[in-house]
Amino acid sequence: MQDIDVLTENRVTKIDPKEKRIEVVDLSKSETQWFPYDKLIIATGARSRRLNLPGSNAKNIFTLKDLQDGIRIREYVDENKPKQVAIIGGGFIGLEMCEAFKTRGIETFLFCRRDLPAGNLEREISERILKELQENSVHFLPNQEPIAFHVNSEGEVTSVETTKGEYPTDMVLMAIGVIPNVEIAREAGVELGKTGAMKTDFVQRTNLNDIYTAGDCCEVFNQVSQDWVYTPLGDIANKQGRVAGENAAGGRVSFPGVVGSAAFKVFELEVAFTGLGIQAARQYGWDIDSQIIEAESKVGYMPGSKRMLIKLTFDRRSGRLLGAQMAGEEGVARRINSLAVALHQKMTINEISKLDFAYAPPFSAPLDPILIAAEQATKKIRRSS
Amino acid sequence: MSKKEKLVIIGGSAAGPSAAARAKRINSDLEVIMFEQGRFISYGS
Repeated sequence: MQDIDVLTENRVTKIDPKEKRIEVVDLSKSETQWFPYDKLIIATGARSRRLNLPGSNAKNIFTLKDLQDGIRIREYVDENKPKQVAIIGGGFIGLEMCEAFKTRGIETFLFCRRDLPAGNLEREISERILKELQENSVHFLPNQEPIAFHVNSEGEVTSVETTKGEYPTDMVLMAIGVIPNVEIAREAGVELGKTGAMKTDFVQRTNLNDIYTAGDCCEVFNQVSQDWVYTPLGDIANKQGRVAGENAAGGRVSFPGVVGSAAFKVFELEVAFTGLGIQAARQYGWDIDSQIIEAESKVGYMPGSKRMLIKLTFDRRSGRLLGAQMAGEEGVARRINSLAVALHQKMTINEISKLDFAYAPPFSAPLDPILIAAEQATKKIRRSS
Repeated sequence: MSKKEKLVIIGGSAAGPSAAARAKRINSDLEVIMFEQGRFISYGS
């Protein structure tokens, strides 16, 4: 970056929108100073949620949000050679960290509030994730929540007590989501949305003059549900940031929002999704049906062809696609993007089933898994109508 | 001589640096200052 002043270890503690200035504490010198602004962009991000339980402040309880957290975890593993780790939370971070800890030879226990990992996804996808965990010898402990961390005289957790039992451990990773950093904004009068994150519009403004926002501290518009939601993801933050930056510099661009696409990897399994799941779609009032299929990622005789699951959620009346979820060892994460395009374009499953996708044996079957799923979904609607 | 317009950005992970770079590209006369409480910038995962 050129000619941009970057002040690290400087915490902004107050925004004064009347005088158009911010209060900054230089953490290295503990000095407080006011800085004037003409335009302000609040990109304060989010922080890891922590459980407030007995023993929660033990030094071997970690969260993972940024580089510093990652360094801290790696240093602890290097220095203390833990044999066991307890991961709290079956979301993306917890699942990705299973692989990281297992790679370091650490016995991994994954505690989950629900009966399956990635509980926001469709059951069949979550079941496939569970299978992947079991194949990689991760101990999955469903339907329980920690109630206390037992700490020794050195201030280290030695066991996790949950609603179901007590489990010895050498370290803990809390991976139970994030909270938007909105405190200084709220204090200055910035309006928050129903999600608790900062309210914004299609040009990334806040309700206050000359103050913009972007990233994990603010909401984003979901084009499928037509609702402002909280989706703290790095790619969205980058896009919102570019729009906020351009508009604060005098430009006129907008960010039309997302359809809700994401992907992650659990050991060899790729998981990807876009749009709404059945439950969310139902809450928004659609008449929902869904179709799940299993198909080969390539023509069966090609080496490396793998089975993949595809579940489509659609509106029974209009046939419009509302969401898709996939899991498989090959060709999943990229494939979801064509369905993200279909969501942006409000396509029906019938239209999707007729798309001209590229075909050659190393890449897919003559009928791509997506086309098969869309065709079966279309038949399902026809049968029921 | 007119004073340069000041754009202040709070946060240096993903959205902050994107905004800073974009703003500077759109208007190179803009004075852009980015504050980050941590030791690193662009550190998000």
